[in-house]
Amino acid sequence: MRLNPPDAYWKKDVALFFSRRFALAIKMIYPLAIIVPVAASGIPARYAAAVVGIVAIMAGTFGAGESLTNDLNDGILARVALTPLSPYRIVFEILAVNAVLDLLQLLPALLVVYLLHPVSFAWICAATFAVFATLVAANCIGVFIANFTSSPADVLLYATAILFPLIYVSGFFRNQHPTGVLATLRDFVPFAYANDALRTVFGLTNGTTPLEVFAYPTIICAVLVFLVCLTAPRLLSQRL
Amino acid sequence: MSPERQATLEAKNITRLYRSSGRGVTDVSLAVDRGEIFGLVGPNGSGKSTLLRVLSTAIAPDSGTFYVGGVEGIGEKRQARAKLGLMVDRPTHYGDLSGWANAFFFARAYGMEEEKTNDVLAELFDYFDLAEYRDDHAKTYSYGMGKKLALIEALAHGPELLLLDEPSLGLDYTSQLAFQRKVRELAGAGAAIVLASNQVDEVEALCDRVVFLHRGKVIAQGTPEELVSSLRGVKRVVATLRNPVEYAAVGGVAGVERVASEGRNLVMHCEDRPGVVADVVGALVREGGDITDLSVRRPNLEDVFVKLTGEALRPDEA
Repeated sequence: MRLNPPDAYWKKDVALFFSRRFALAIKMIYPLAIIVPVAASGIPARYAAAVVGIVAIMAGTFGAGESLTNDLNDGILARVALTPLSPYRIVFEILAVNAVLDLLQLLPALLVVYLLHPVSFAWICAATFAVFATLVAANCIGVFIANFTSSPADVLLYATAILFPLIYVSGFFRNQHPTGVLATLRDFVPFAYANDALRTVFGLTNGTTPLEVFAYPTIICAVLVFLVCLTAPRLLSQRL
Repeated sequence: MSPERQATLEAKNITRLYRSSGRGVTDVSLAVDRGEIFGLVGPNGSGKSTLLRVLSTAIAPDSGTFYVGGVEGIGEKRQARAKLGLMVDRPTHYGDLSGWANAFFFARAYGMEEEKTNDVLAELFDYFDLAEYRDDHAKTYSYGMGKKLALIEALAHGPELLLLDEPSLGLDYTSQLAFQRKVRELAGAGAAIVLASNQVDEVEALCDRVVFLHRGKVIAQGTPEELVSSLRGVKRVVATLRNPVEYAAVGGVAGVERVASEGRNLVMHCEDRPGVVADVVGALVREGGDITDLSVRRPNLEDVFVKLTGEALRPDEA
């Protein structure tokens, strides 16, 4: 399969990802630079899991939102939207390809984590999938924010406002043993499943099974992707 | 789709006003036939770009409707878009992709087959002298090269209707001629072309019909010859002045019908009578004007616009 010259929106994004070599090097190195020392250190498992989870959330949210607003400001996305391509398909491809590319960035660091903290193959798959679901959800948040602002700086601001409560509810740092409403809310946040899976990888036990890590985030992300794709006509319209 | 519709583009009573400024277009109707080159002429802010935004399906009109090749442009956007070729006034590209990759992506987005895309793009890159630079990143292209790339993107898929906003602005002379030849060739092959511009020489040379827009409304429509013939018996005198002068006195000279300022130029429409140019020059000199250049020629579309509105088409240009 040839990616360049691109004949589809997602191929264009992949071609751009690999064409910016310096940016590519930074993108591939920074997860390693943050995650590997944490994984190799003796810090408590819940904090090690939190660091990996936070890196995934930040990579997903800021990546999609910032590059989208840049393209919107540039006018190029509005031009693409005037081709016969379906706007829903464009947004779906933006979400899908960004999540996959973000996973590609995190994969070397995750592999090092799995090497340093060996677990069963089922948990390796579950943790990797949970990180991917986190990236999908984070990209959904980034794309959603791009509906309301054309400033990359605003994306960072709005993302922080949205992510803080979600990170809290997911139990990365506080809310470790939620009850009542907080426990119910936690079940609807994909980040929580990544946190559970990564904690298991780092040696903590919790009540979540690999099957749950596959099933619930899949359902939640499908709903999120569907809802964000519904914003496509507005997202891709000209900002006047 | 209505079977009696013949025009490739038919716009009926299009109104679109921006809430922030209240400007836009009001009640614009026009029809462009197959093979016709149609000019939209008006100064900056007259509504040309707004009208093109509506016709390109980028924004919805407040009221009115339009059809592209028989397809309703508001309800059936994607079908209408498939029939359109579009070049916006400030084209942008994916800077980290090559010029070829940009054009290839757009051609494929319009549904062209890969083999045909390669053939057509090779021909167009060659035609617009971009073949040598096809593999360079688009961000390294000059402004003119970027415009040519945008033209290629607009033309490659052989659209039924081509919407061009200031297409030759920023092109060198050779590229302008190449562009004009290509536009005529496309019209000859049956494409309808809408060209928004205030480059009156180009509009007169290319367009079969012209519509004047002023403050969002159509104020005149016809062939360039019809419009210019409304100024029969009128001379266009253009004086370039070193210094600005109070030119009310020039308007009082017998035979001077109107005076308009265009940057450092003063444009006067005068009756075609002996001695009128000398009288005008005398009046300017008496007002302290230092004339650095003077031309007398037949009126053009710009003069028609001045006659209709009392305002210059390009007030900021020297």
